[in-house]
Amino acid sequence: MAPIVYYAFTLLFFFAAYSVLGWGLNLQFGEAGILNFAYIGFVAIGAYITGVTSSGPPPAGSGESYVLGASLPFPLGLLAGGVASCLLAVLVAFIAFRRLRSDYLAMVLISISLVMYDVINNYVPLFDGADGLNSVPMPLSGTFNLDANGFLIFFALLSVGIGAVMWLVMSRITRSPLGRTLRAIRDDPDVVSALGKNVFRYQLTAMLIGAFYAGIGGGLIVEFASSFNTSAWLPAETFIIFAALIIGGLGNNLGVMMGAFVVPVLFTQLPKFIPDIPGHPGLILNLEGAVIGLLLIVTMWFRPQGIIPERPRRPDRFLAAQAPPAPPGGIDADAAEGPPPAPAGATDAETTG
Amino acid sequence: MSAAAMTTPTTTAAVLSGHDLHKAFGGNHAVNGADLAISEGSITALIGPNGAGKSTVVNLFSGLLPPDSGQVRLVGADVTGWPSHRIARRGLIRTFQLSRELQGLTVLENLLVTPIDQLGESLVNIFLRPGAVRRQERANVERATEVLHDYGLYHVRGNWARQLSGGQKRLLELARAVMARPKVLLLDEPMAGVNPALVDQIGEHILRLKSDGITVLMIEHNLGVVERICDHVIVMSEGRTLATGRMSELRGNSEVVRAYLGGVLDARLDS
Amino acid sequence: MHQFWLAVGFGLVTASVIAVAAVGLSLQFGITNYINFAYGDFMALGAYLTWELNAGAVHLNIWVAMIGGSLLVGVFAVIVNRVVLGPFARRFERVFYVLIVTFALSLIILSLINSIWGADVKRFNMSSETPLHIGPFLLTVDQLIVIGIGLALMVAIHLLLTVTRLGKSMRAMSDSTTLAMTSGIDTRLITTITWFLTGILAGLAGTVLGITSASITPSFGETFLFVIFAAVIVGGVGSVYGAILGAVMIGLVTEVSAVFINASYKLDTAFVVLILVLLFRPSGLFARVGRV
Repeated sequence: MAPIVYYAFTLLFFFAAYSVLGWGLNLQFGEAGILNFAYIGFVAIGAYITGVTSSGPPPAGSGESYVLGASLPFPLGLLAGGVASCLLAVLVAFIAFRRLRSDYLAMVLISISLVMYDVINNYVPLFDGADGLNSVPMPLSGTFNLDANGFLIFFALLSVGIGAVMWLVMSRITRSPLGRTLRAIRDDPDVVSALGKNVFRYQLTAMLIGAFYAGIGGGLIVEFASSFNTSAWLPAETFIIFAALIIGGLGNNLGVMMGAFVVPVLFTQLPKFIPDIPGHPGLILNLEGAVIGLLLIVTMWFRPQGIIPERPRRPDRFLAAQAPPAPPGGIDADAAEGPPPAPAGATDAETTG
Repeated sequence: MSAAAMTTPTTTAAVLSGHDLHKAFGGNHAVNGADLAISEGSITALIGPNGAGKSTVVNLFSGLLPPDSGQVRLVGADVTGWPSHRIARRGLIRTFQLSRELQGLTVLENLLVTPIDQLGESLVNIFLRPGAVRRQERANVERATEVLHDYGLYHVRGNWARQLSGGQKRLLELARAVMARPKVLLLDEPMAGVNPALVDQIGEHILRLKSDGITVLMIEHNLGVVERICDHVIVMSEGRTLATGRMSELRGNSEVVRAYLGGVLDARLDS
Repeated sequence: MHQFWLAVGFGLVTASVIAVAAVGLSLQFGITNYINFAYGDFMALGAYLTWELNAGAVHLNIWVAMIGGSLLVGVFAVIVNRVVLGPFARRFERVFYVLIVTFALSLIILSLINSIWGADVKRFNMSSETPLHIGPFLLTVDQLIVIGIGLALMVAIHLLLTVTRLGKSMRAMSDSTTLAMTSGIDTRLITTITWFLTGILAGLAGTVLGITSASITPSFGETFLFVIFAAVIVGGVGSVYGAILGAVMIGLVTEVSAVFINASYKLDTAFVVLILVLLFRPSGLFARVGRV
């Protein structure tokens, strides 16, 4: 098959993986209002733990060293990554979530991710330091007898499947009363607390679910690429996901998917395939950050709600279904009882969550 | 203790009380030894000049701030220093001086977020008991719809709360508190900045809450309203409770008149 | 013991670097009421502009180049505030919008530095010197100058805030912008001057960081950011004097810890201090009463 096909499946994979990452951060930030500037740290933990639990022990003489080579079969390693990321979330929440204004919390979180980076980069026995993991087995490729190219297509499709399940789970969460309470906390934690709800508990829930998504997304990336090291999760990567959310549409899972397509796929994966300008090697990749940053600033100024904005939910829809059909050309008296004058573009609010 | 305080009716027990409350911000003693008792089933007004510590008392009662010293009792328990969500669970709900509607939720959702311990707030129930979650949600939606009808907000139920007018936001704040089925309701200037017609309407709502058995403590500057709907009045000045009694009694209390009301009281009542 | 005192000497050098940066960040926060997450990149920009004047296009003495580079960052900071941050802060009530924009700026500046100067390590053009014995310390003349710069700036900032009208206006604004405006302070002008001064401080901090760590890379300001955050939070966010004390504490802790643990992790001890402070005294060690 032509290289362009593999290239298209690679992009498809990144679309699926970054959608998963985007949904997780959207639950934390877009729904619960937690400015998690350490998000990439959660992705990295998921990736490393998935990597080391699905690999065997470091091969003798390879010079590699890492903890846990548990040789777990396919979905278990991935799940281990998600769970590890959740454990990190519990730790972070108990250290940082009490009595901190959102921007101080952001300072603490960004510090956490920088320190994690430093320690993982320097402490070789953990995840092989700066070299990272380089021989993570391709899951299920033995079962289906796949070569590297076959695996690429297979795993991209598998990731789309996993992404679809995670989309269903996430839309159910954001549509539920839990999602509503999280959005209330985003708007005003004091009010929610004054209504008798333990804000910390709900924020912890959002952190855990979001961290699980981060871990799974990270795990998918390491299994797809068979390798992972510190250059894959520079602090700027967190920003890429934030940019995806805001450009796509914060608080809207469909908008997040749109953002995952525009930012990580179009603006960061695609330029890797644009040929260099003669005489300026690497210039295009170097400028990519500036382009994304500018795109974000321009979007925030001219369309702060994103490409596909958050929509009002209609939990009373069933009432309309029960009500007797309005007489044709219904007159004034019915006007007040008719469907609420929702903002423009809210017709299919139930399908977005 | 002033003479007026002696005349406090003691027929009903205090459902909410603060004893010797102190709260300082830096060097500023916002509340400095306040004593208040709110009797069950009454509407009590908290009045006093700006900076008298009224809002701080409400914040201490509702657990938004912990007192430096003193005791808060609510429905027979010492709740001093409890976080606000635990106090709310004992039946005390409050509103805020500046409307604090949940802007990114619709009007209907502002009410739906109110009931505590909803089945659908638990991740486990969302996936394992979807039927029960849906039934409870429907019951909540039906009740919220009734409340919205009562407060004249039904026609804007699907709007973002941030799109409401100032008066509608006041009504929403009250409706949201009612939805929580409180035993005790603290209202921080529920009529601030609304037009006279709406003032009367909100007054009617508060009287209805009383007839439903809800105890109300409200900070209010409009003494006409206080005279009309409140059973008791507590006057605060410089962080202390100056006097307690009926509006008619307080007008005869020279200490109160000197400290706060001055000639203003009669002028306002006449208008 | 000998090792310990050497480390204390280095700690004072590091503390000076952190103090210059932390004071700039605190002053910005006091006026704007949001954290500038691009601050580390302002520092890196200062280091690269200094490098350009010292070892690139022009060959000036390092200290002269440092002044030039820092002034340029000051101008850059004023422009950034006028064109981007100021308008966003005025238009959006919720602080996260501006925070995200500072994050975007960080990416843009980093990307531009990478494009202009490349990703490889740069070094300043300065003569290497033999260290001098001063009491129990062993420091080079350059390190002594860095300490001197730190001390001089702290004294200058103290005088600025307490003696001059400008400084008093800045303090008034950091207490309450509205109040300052009603009492006749030109808040726009004060904001501009603050961005200029704090831009200069960021530039100076970046350059002295480059001098003390002997090399500069595009992201070296960013990765140093958490050390500055640690100093600012430990000292109590928004308090300039707290930031200075926090810087001294973090500077000493990081360098002295290198005596006992692997030196690659010495900066991470700043983070340990930060966590301990958050757990036991979340508003900071030196925060004024009643101030968040």
